[in-house]
Amino acid sequence: MVASPTVRVSVGGGGLEGWTRQLLERLPAPAGALAAVQERGRAALAALPVPSSRQEDWRFTDLSLLTDLEPAPAGAVAATAGDLPPSAPGVVRLLLDGRSDPLAGVTLPPGLSALNPAELVQALGHTLAATGCEQHWPVELNHAASEQVLALRVASRHSVTLELVSTAAAGLLPLRLLLILEEKAELDLSQLVQARGAGLTSLVLEAHLARSARLHHGLVALGLPQAALLAHLALEQEPESAVTLVSATAGWGLARLEPRVRQVDGGANTTLRGLQLVDGRQIADTHSHVLFSGPEGELDQLHKAVADGAGRSVFNGAVRVPRAAQRTNAAQLSRSLLLSDRARIDTKPELEIVADDVKCAHGATVSCLQTDELFYLQSRGLAASQASDLLQRAFCEEVLRELPAAARSWGSFQAMLSAAGSGEDRP
Amino acid sequence: MIRPDAPVLLEIRDLHARVEAKAILKGVNLTIRAGEIHAVMGRNGSGKSTLSKVLAGHPSYTVTGGSVTYRGENLLELDPEIRARAGVFLGFQYPVEIPGVSNLEFLRVSTNARRVHRGEAELDTFEFEDLVRERLQVVQMDPAFLERSVNEGFSGGEKKRNEILQMALLEPLVAILDETDSGLDIDALRIVAGGVNHLATPDTATLLITHYQRLLDAITPDYVHVMAAGRILRTGGKELALELEQRGYDWVDAELAALEGADADRQPAEVA
Amino acid sequence: MSSPQAVGDLVSQPYKYGFVTDIETEKIAKGLSEDVVRLISSKKEEPAFLLDFRLRAYRHWLTMVEPDWAALGYPSIDYQEIIYYAAPKQQAKKASLDEVDPKLLETFDKLGIPLSEQKRLSNVAVDAVFDSVSIATTYKEKLAEHGVIFCSISEAVKEHPELIEAYLGTVVPSNDNYFAALNSAVFSDGSFVFIPKGVECPMELSTYFRINSGDTGQFERTLIVAEEGASVSYLEGCTAPMFDTNQLHAAVVELVVLDDASIKYSTVQNWYAGDENGVGGIYNFVTKRGQCRGARSKISWTQVETGSAITWKYPSCVLQGADSVGEFYSVALTNNRQQADTGTKMIHVGPRTRSTIVSKGISAGHSANSYRGLVQIGPKAEGAKNYSQCDSMLIGDQAAANTYPYIRSQQPQAAVEHEASTCRISEDQLFYLQSRGIGFEEAVSMMVSGFCRDVFNQLPMEFAAEADKLLALKLEGSVG
Repeated sequence: MVASPTVRVSVGGGGLEGWTRQLLERLPAPAGALAAVQERGRAALAALPVPSSRQEDWRFTDLSLLTDLEPAPAGAVAATAGDLPPSAPGVVRLLLDGRSDPLAGVTLPPGLSALNPAELVQALGHTLAATGCEQHWPVELNHAASEQVLALRVASRHSVTLELVSTAAAGLLPLRLLLILEEKAELDLSQLVQARGAGLTSLVLEAHLARSARLHHGLVALGLPQAALLAHLALEQEPESAVTLVSATAGWGLARLEPRVRQVDGGANTTLRGLQLVDGRQIADTHSHVLFSGPEGELDQLHKAVADGAGRSVFNGAVRVPRAAQRTNAAQLSRSLLLSDRARIDTKPELEIVADDVKCAHGATVSCLQTDELFYLQSRGLAASQASDLLQRAFCEEVLRELPAAARSWGSFQAMLSAAGSGEDRP
Repeated sequence: MIRPDAPVLLEIRDLHARVEAKAILKGVNLTIRAGEIHAVMGRNGSGKSTLSKVLAGHPSYTVTGGSVTYRGENLLELDPEIRARAGVFLGFQYPVEIPGVSNLEFLRVSTNARRVHRGEAELDTFEFEDLVRERLQVVQMDPAFLERSVNEGFSGGEKKRNEILQMALLEPLVAILDETDSGLDIDALRIVAGGVNHLATPDTATLLITHYQRLLDAITPDYVHVMAAGRILRTGGKELALELEQRGYDWVDAELAALEGADADRQPAEVA
Repeated sequence: MSSPQAVGDLVSQPYKYGFVTDIETEKIAKGLSEDVVRLISSKKEEPAFLLDFRLRAYRHWLTMVEPDWAALGYPSIDYQEIIYYAAPKQQAKKASLDEVDPKLLETFDKLGIPLSEQKRLSNVAVDAVFDSVSIATTYKEKLAEHGVIFCSISEAVKEHPELIEAYLGTVVPSNDNYFAALNSAVFSDGSFVFIPKGVECPMELSTYFRINSGDTGQFERTLIVAEEGASVSYLEGCTAPMFDTNQLHAAVVELVVLDDASIKYSTVQNWYAGDENGVGGIYNFVTKRGQCRGARSKISWTQVETGSAITWKYPSCVLQGADSVGEFYSVALTNNRQQADTGTKMIHVGPRTRSTIVSKGISAGHSANSYRGLVQIGPKAEGAKNYSQCDSMLIGDQAAANTYPYIRSQQPQAAVEHEASTCRISEDQLFYLQSRGIGFEEAVSMMVSGFCRDVFNQLPMEFAAEADKLLALKLEGSVG
């Protein structure tokens, strides 16, 4: 592959490989509860080829922004909730800085407890393996650097509401989460991932849902043009469990989100909602992967993208329905708005089916705002820009309204987005 | 029309059938002669619809005992399409949609299959168009439905009219109409009932499976059978339907309980 | 009584074109080298530009690697074990059909493609290609009256070298991809069609490809040019004998359409597919591409793919001219151990270009059937529109249906819409048809052809019914 003439200066000869090498050199010696995981990750990173456009999974996503970032763990940043309004009564808010114990001094509500070290060893990585992403480069990166893991259990028949907030500055902020939902446990998890500098947030979340458990996860990820996010959200669902995963990402120079779901015996319900906004020279990429390992599973997926400026939006939605997954009912829809002639949308559903009695529908649309809708609003007196704003908000709202209540109480996504953009100079 | 000397078309003897592991029919007896109109009534789950599916040869239903004789032949050993060609017609409660298959072509192929079975010549596309246009009047159906896919996007009433149109084309000797009245408004019911009456002749017989009296206001049955728990519990004339309408089905439960009690009492003796 | 299992028990219909014609053939030795390329060119007495074209392609091919991104699995091909030139032994091309070896005429008769004056189809001109060589073209004179050129590409090289030099390799460059490069180096024959300005071709044109030899690779090259305002409908058919070894077929088809012209290209592909255990069959790696160079030009691909052990094929349209139109209608059926990775590329370059994709995949047995498509809207394709529909029908729980529709858009004033669904033949639908007196097999066949109707409607009348029958035949013994 010939190097393109627009390659950033800082890439140098080593590019992402060089960056990875430097990062490995600057990580502290393996220590703590995750020492073994760190060793594994570092060995893997040293051996794995770095993602490049030659690999189908990274074909449309240019990772060269990473090489602009400091190849070192983030310095100490005081955990802060920033401008967020206080959480509602009964809702626990945990601040994640990748270093300190987020549970220190926190009283957990009934039904929520931390895993003990033995349980942690047993459970950590299980879902990553089950969803086939334990050896993905971004996951190994997280393995290599994570010093903390927030590992929580929601006890059977309990219902818990939780908020997680992290703020990345310069350098690498690794976040590792593990959630165990016992039978009939319910968890509403609102997560805010934000950036305040040229940093990389590496998020790896694993959740295991026992029978009839319910997880509603809302991820609001607000970045900066010089910041990057690499997130793997791996979920294992036992039958009759229900997951609603809602993500809204905007503002990142580079954001890659990989929701990976496995219905271990089918019979579960998965709802995926994604919204990604790109502008300027930003890249947002969602690679979702849903595997039905048993019959009668359901998937309802809607992915939306808005690309403006010279932004690039990538969506790859894999749905695998093997022979064991008879009577699966899966629907996937990808809708993209292309607002600028310098922006680009790449979208690719990927359906692999080996079962005859299934319903699998998917659809994709790429267009600008509908002229007749714009015209209708304009004919009622709205200015063209107002009309277009209104329609864009409506387009996004279809995903945003499905965020958990706590995330919605943080304020409107658009307002948070503009605040995040203007707040980058603050300490 | 009851004529004791009329030939027997369909003879059901002690018919038992199950779907998967569940026994549904537990000894149905019914004799249908030419010219007769029979109504089978009963609650949901009494086995009415199963009876119709078994007679038409649906693969999900397994006959576990008894016999069905159609014009002297063992009906149960015939494939479903052979039964249809021989003149047994099932009007479905829920006609399925078959996207992509043209309604007109479907009607032509099935009509010709029946004709060939009867030793008649096949109709070419033009002859068939003439025939189908004539028969459309029986159900007052818009010819536009011929151009569409089989039942695809049809309303409930349109599907039922399409069923009666098929009956008009296939000219069955025994027409089994499974809840043909369900989901019909009063106008559609009138049209469908008119079609059935129009098609009934002294040489053919009709088996109506229904829940409600209102169909029987439009089509007068010669016999009414009340079905419960997979058997025919009682048989009477058209007045039995009116009685059901007035008294409801509670007495059926009582009678059934008594019967099952009797069964239970009898069992040891049978074992011995 | 029929049960779903009973459907599976229907006996598979044997491949009826699997016979071998016993005829003397001139073959060159196995293997590929620059000398072989030169030998092929000299046997065909080609001008220097064509030898250069072949050699450039060959040298480039040496630097390339066989693509592996398709959802296909097959043992690696030994390119030195293939014979690159085989021709039935007869003196050059005959002036009259009377001089053609009767065995060849008989072969095409058996395939349902009568070539003799009395029996030939009345409104279809046929170019018959046997192994690597065109043996007869019917109605040439009648077409010539209209200025239409329809002949084998070897003849065209001799008689119209200026046209070949002007157009060959301009749509599919010799270095386009691995198989196209191989074809460019060693192609033996194929058809050439030229429709001059303003002419509507008075009859259907058709090329019938027949593979006969067991160890010979097939590398045809087809080139169709429609000048301003011209139009033509072209159909290709293909069959091969049954061998228990695999034969490589790597063809290239190039279409060029100028202002207001249109080409309708239909394929009924029925190469030998191998047996039920996947032994034998054709490896079909084909590059088909059309260029809508002119404004308001149109290319329509229709394909019915039922044969081959492996199919790798993406008939594409490059929509350069403003308001040009690309269409792709496809039925791909796989049964037993067949694998197909097929679809299309619609490259929207010019403004207000429009494309339609309708793909129907039917997977039965242990086969794998993938739709892979690309709709690309370039920055200058303002007002472009695409609509794609991809439906899969699964028969049995051992077959795979994969769908990979890539969409790339760089133009906000364009609309791309993709829809896909899966279905199967349900027991209730079958029972409904049976309960109206329609036999089991006919019911299945009605539903399959109903599923494919949108595509069959695009085929020329003469072939639509044939395609319908072919599909029914291929599916026998698979539903259940």
